[in-house]
Amino acid sequence: MKTRDQEYRELFMAEALEYYDSMSRHLSELERNPNAGPALNELFRLMHNLKANARAMGFTDLGEIAHHLETIFGLIRDKEREFSGALIKVVFAGVDALGSMIRAVGASQPLPDATALLENLDRVVRGEAPVLDEAEAGETEEESNRKMELSDLVYIQVKKLDNLLNLVGELVIDRDRIMTLAQELDNPALLATAQHLFRISDDLQYSVMDARLVGVGVLLNKFPRVVRDVASAEDKEVELTLSGQDVQIDRNILQIITDALLHLVRNAVSHGLETTENRLKAGKPVVGKLTLSAMTERDDVLLQVRDDGRGIDTEAVRRKAVERGLTTAHTAAGLDKEAVWAFLFEPGFSMAQKVTDISGRGVGLDVVKLALDSLGGQLRVDSEMGVGTTFTLVLPTSIAVKGALLVEVDERPYAIPLMHTDTVLALHPGQISVVGGVMVTHLHEQSVPLVPLRQLLYDEGVEPLPAANKSDIEGTQHVLVVNYNNRRLGLVVDRFMRQQNIVIKPLSKPLDTIDLFGGVTLLGSGQVCLVLDVPALTRLFLAKRP
Amino acid sequence: MAEIDTAFSSAKPERAKPAELVQLIVFRLGDEDYGIRIEQVKEVTVTPDVARMPKTPPFIKGIANLRGDIIAIIDLEERFNLRPAGRPLPERSYTVAVEAADYTLGLMVREVPRPLTMPLSQIEAAPEFVQDSSTRDKYLEGIAKLPEGGIIIVLDMRKLLTPSEVMRLPGKVASS
Repeated sequence: MKTRDQEYRELFMAEALEYYDSMSRHLSELERNPNAGPALNELFRLMHNLKANARAMGFTDLGEIAHHLETIFGLIRDKEREFSGALIKVVFAGVDALGSMIRAVGASQPLPDATALLENLDRVVRGEAPVLDEAEAGETEEESNRKMELSDLVYIQVKKLDNLLNLVGELVIDRDRIMTLAQELDNPALLATAQHLFRISDDLQYSVMDARLVGVGVLLNKFPRVVRDVASAEDKEVELTLSGQDVQIDRNILQIITDALLHLVRNAVSHGLETTENRLKAGKPVVGKLTLSAMTERDDVLLQVRDDGRGIDTEAVRRKAVERGLTTAHTAAGLDKEAVWAFLFEPGFSMAQKVTDISGRGVGLDVVKLALDSLGGQLRVDSEMGVGTTFTLVLPTSIAVKGALLVEVDERPYAIPLMHTDTVLALHPGQISVVGGVMVTHLHEQSVPLVPLRQLLYDEGVEPLPAANKSDIEGTQHVLVVNYNNRRLGLVVDRFMRQQNIVIKPLSKPLDTIDLFGGVTLLGSGQVCLVLDVPALTRLFLAKRP
Repeated sequence: MAEIDTAFSSAKPERAKPAELVQLIVFRLGDEDYGIRIEQVKEVTVTPDVARMPKTPPFIKGIANLRGDIIAIIDLEERFNLRPAGRPLPERSYTVAVEAADYTLGLMVREVPRPLTMPLSQIEAAPEFVQDSSTRDKYLEGIAKLPEGGIIIVLDMRKLLTPSEVMRLPGKVASS
């Protein structure tokens, strides 16, 4: 595995080489036609970008040369210098030097000395005559060969990577099948080949997944502008801090959560952070703090949007939820703050008093929830009145392969993504009480409702599930506790099978309308296994509880 | 699996020729023979392991893995109330994989389906009164009379298997 450092270096190289190629092209054009405006602008832009990249990577000299050349092209553009005579030679020498420096970076060699060149560039900038060394004019064959080098990187359409990933998914399913068959047939040669196939396809899978990873930075770096715009529209002062830009995640996941993140950030600036006046009143610094950070946690990626604003007014949300008929006043009174905050993610639930351009149209946080649900992700909220709010998006690193727990009900396997599983319990009847027809157990001082998965899946109709009866609970109950939107639910299953990485295939029409399933997966035995969708299961339970 | 009897080897039936041929895959539902045009049939196979699918109408038997594709398996006898009393589907049944507009479905049948080639002229439009009174009216392409007696009801899969048609849930209340 390459280190991230190496990977950045390669990315820098790829971009720099492209810039270099374009520079050479535009420079030739400029030489033919010294008044070519577009070429000049392009050169100015390329130098500027190269300068920024080089400085970010710590290649000071490279950055300096690009900086000087940028200045010179700026002067030419402003008609203060002319692209002619000695200036052309110095500029070409400068671009050639950039080329050899970029190649030195690629070969991990020390950068060539550029003192003489920089002095000359300085002179040109100051409008003095450069000192030209005639000996340097000749170019060796080696140098001209170098100019023909092709980049080590290729750009590739995401669609092609998607296709590759799907194929690998199919391959993995068949591989598992072959592995099982080989074990059944017990032929040593076949078994050895199957094991080899297993290893290779594993490597292949991870390579394809790795190829799809991008730094979260490609998304986060777009936010300073967004925050600036929203803040100025709201007349607030906001300081945005980004961190964890180099955390790696599947490109498509980043795509899917773009809108969600945008929403959270806008929301934080326009609702989370107080007005300047209110901040002063509360004794807070005038400038609001907004932090966007990414980090990894086990196999997941956490994206956090944190503000130091007013925090969520839990009581206001509670009132609003009752007003909107989402819950009864009686139930609402008994809910803890996490449960109350969960209402924020109900469709159309908005706390905004007035509609603004930025947010507050009653469409909102449910968008965030939907995006996360579609990825099998989770959303955590943490907030304290007057101190601030933190939204944490828990995302899988990769879409294709998910860790799942396989459980059995009526001799059929079902898979539940680990993303939503909390813990597994083996309870004896004494640990289960029945409250209002619902089985309940206590876990970490919290009561967790239990429901037989069989009932949830196979009881037809809209009528509530049959009330549980204490006397019906016999023997050890195998319970898988799942967690969705801060709600925990215990699913009673026949037995736990194993934990396994699964490749989820979406359900095809016409069955794709059943939201209870996130898809299907094929087990090594060739058996079809339904993947349960925990958000939908939780909703079904809430709708049908006795 | 199914040996298709290619009666016309010349791919282009000439226009002048009066007898344009159609190939059907014929199977039994209840006590009647039904046919589907072979273009709409993807494959005929012994019914694979079917996983029951919760929250679907009873005539959807579940989903099965057909060469890597996950398809829904439906039981038309149950769908059309054709199941003769006391004759459940046998342990070993067959599945005709048919292509709907943009997906594949499996039809479970009790006997090995057989291919049949006949002149198109032999298929007659279903009589008006059948069209109106039958629950199957829309899916009937016509009725084929066999020379040796007997009829085959020719179904048009594309009309039978629209998602709304498949998911129309007789006797089943919506779940959510």
